[in-house]
Amino acid sequence: MDAWWQRLDGGLRAAMPSATALFLALLGVSAWPLPHLGPVMPPLAFIALFYWAAHRPDLFPPIVAFFLGLLNDFINGGPLGLSALLFTVAHQIIWRQRGLFAGHSFFILWLGFALAAALLMLAQWVLMGLLTWQPAPPVPILVQTILAILLFPLPCWIFIQLQRTVLSSNE
Amino acid sequence: MLIRRSASSRWYSTTTALSWRGFSRRFSAILFIGMAIFLLALSRAQPEATASLRAHALDVLAPFLDIVARPALVVEGVGAAVHDLASLRADNGRLREENAHLIEWQNAVVLLEKENQELRSLLNFKTEPRFSYISARVIADTGGAYTRGLIVTAGKADGVREGMAAITGEGLIGRVIEAGTWSSRVWLISDLNSRIPVTIAETGDRAILAGDNSSQPKLLFLARDASVREGAHVVTSGHGGVFPPNLPIGILKETSRGSFAVVPMADLGRVTYVRLVDFDLEGGAFNPIETKLRAEGKKK
Repeated sequence: MDAWWQRLDGGLRAAMPSATALFLALLGVSAWPLPHLGPVMPPLAFIALFYWAAHRPDLFPPIVAFFLGLLNDFINGGPLGLSALLFTVAHQIIWRQRGLFAGHSFFILWLGFALAAALLMLAQWVLMGLLTWQPAPPVPILVQTILAILLFPLPCWIFIQLQRTVLSSNE
Repeated sequence: MLIRRSASSRWYSTTTALSWRGFSRRFSAILFIGMAIFLLALSRAQPEATASLRAHALDVLAPFLDIVARPALVVEGVGAAVHDLASLRADNGRLREENAHLIEWQNAVVLLEKENQELRSLLNFKTEPRFSYISARVIADTGGAYTRGLIVTAGKADGVREGMAAITGEGLIGRVIEAGTWSSRVWLISDLNSRIPVTIAETGDRAILAGDNSSQPKLLFLARDASVREGAHVVTSGHGGVFPPNLPIGILKETSRGSFAVVPMADLGRVTYVRLVDFDLEGGAFNPIETKLRAEGKKK
């Protein structure tokens, strides 16, 4: 019985990174009481993807990135598979380069995120333009990217706390 | 010696485990990238195949979106309640006065409607189809940088169909693009893909209202000799049979000489409830496949 509880506990702890990403994905499209936020809402789920792919890739495998992207596509109604593709590729790149940010100063992590977010948004803009033959206005995308970069420390701080408390036992 | 060996063997086992994990990770990443590309190709080549998948996914996601949207609704509700309490007394007096006024109007309307009916029957006038409304709450604002949309809590089970007009008290805001069983997706008039045939109410000039992802959609194909002015009212024309005619949309605004944008009556960035207009014109479905099927059914 004890072993069963322990396994449940471990399983729930291991699911935490994916759960935070899912929550942020839903929060990003939630009907906020702030008007006119929609068009410039930063890609919150990508912050979770970046942090966990760099720090706990064992608990955030490619399948989570894929389904997170798919969820994004379903919610936003854009071309199905586009975010799934971008998120999986981004996950792979971050995972391979994780030695650059994980364990270094927060500033380096932030810089890494800024670069990753800018590349993601650029790739999305180019692919979207190719798929629809209609380039989207670049200003909201620029604002989205800047907001995501400015917002990064807050979710990141929460993730660091979560990693220290919830995931400290299975490091 | 013994200690060293055990340490090195442990080192050996962890590296093999890591590289195996790395290999499987890379392999699964390639698998998922492949799947994503396949989905993307499928959704481009056969949009119908992914449409029902989208509608089902919407139904599955709707309850979660609803839960996440609740706190925002509560915050807004509390704010509104405080405001209401403060203005209770003043509102009460005003409403009493208004009510007395409306009762007078009601009597007049009853008489006029009766007279209208009699005159119509004299003329053999074919009446416009009547509308019915389905009310729904907005649970997600999916307006990213590429699309402008909403997810609302009413679906096929409530009678929602693709192509229905979505309105607020102020005017038209968009149309239903995907209908799940319990939830649907509305594309706003500001979406890049939105094209709506409109009429300028004052002059009767026709044009197309085209969304461009900005908050003020553009007016296209306005006749060159049209004598429209800034401040004119733009309404749906009803052409194409997608929308009923004369739904208010917005006010004209001249952006540069001879080109106009429309300032929507409804605040598109602040919609909490929508009404979906159910009207049934002949062949008036938005879905081309359904229209075709209906036409074929009639031939038989």
